Amino acid sequence: MSVSKEENFDIMLSQALRERSEPVPVDFTDRISRQIKEAEEQRILARVVMEERLALAGCIVLGIMAIVSLVVFPGVAVSFKELVETSVRKITQAVEIVHYEWQLYTAFAGIFGFAVYSLVDLLATDSWR
Amino acid sequence: MANGARKKRDEIWLDKLLAGDHEAFAEFVDKYKEMVFLCCRTLGLKEYEVEDVASETFMAAYTGIRRYRGQAELSTWLWGIAYRQGVNYLRKSGRENQLLIEQDKQLAERRNTQVSAELENKEQADIVWQAVGRLPRLWAMATILFYREEKELKGIAKIMRVRQNTVKTYLFRGRKRLKELLADVVGEDIDVSK
Repeated sequence: MSVSKEENFDIMLSQALRERSEPVPVDFTDRISRQIKEAEEQRILARVVMEERLALAGCIVLGIMAIVSLVVFPGVAVSFKELVETSVRKITQAVEIVHYEWQLYTAFAGIFGFAVYSLVDLLATDSWR
Repeated sequence: MANGARKKRDEIWLDKLLAGDHEAFAEFVDKYKEMVFLCCRTLGLKEYEVEDVASETFMAAYTGIRRYRGQAELSTWLWGIAYRQGVNYLRKSGRENQLLIEQDKQLAERRNTQVSAELENKEQADIVWQAVGRLPRLWAMATILFYREEKELKGIAKIMRVRQNTVKTYLFRGRKRLKELLADVVGEDIDVSK
């Protein structure tokens, strides 16, 4: 089968260009793997730092908002005080009731706590990780 | 049957790669590192810059692999990243204009036709590579992608972010210049029958 001069040139070019292999440093793959691990660690660290900063900022903002709302809306402070007093009264009543049958309620609380823990562990922990 | 098993294995590997698996990515680096180094060298980066740009390419690939949707071949996708990293590097160092300038590397001494017919494949390849090294970088890139990597015009246009007609022009000019350069060195009758 005869090939034209042009085709001959193209074939030669393809063959010649495929002939060479590119020199690459021997440990290049290891170095990239190391760089990736370091970058991942940095990313996780940055995320933790960011979460902590956000939590801190949230506490500060909430605190400031609470103070501002107490100053600007005194009515809120009064209703808040009433709310706290009502809650304390209800809790005291509940404690008195529980006091008589504390073993039963303790057992219930233990079982309920374990159920919630298992459920959360089953459904949510993987996505948190 | 063997092809089916290989295809299945490749799919599993690709899934792992897309999920960010470190081992699969190390395999990916091993498979494509030569290609990335070739891209950087073709763009005319200095030897001490090549490794840095290649590392940046793979880091960018690691970050971007989760967004890879398989529209292009994995190698075309990576060529695109390497090309952009290299061009950006040249741009930052104010050397972008070198992409269209012919290089002044010396070719091997002129040989007559009889000698060329006896050239070993390796020697002939070296001369061709030297000639490609003289081409303006964009012509050389298009030539390598077309003749060595067997990419289609569409793929090359995607990698180099130019129109297909521009790729055709690069290829036409590159090929024409290579013919001139190689005719000087190995003579008119280039033999491929060896």
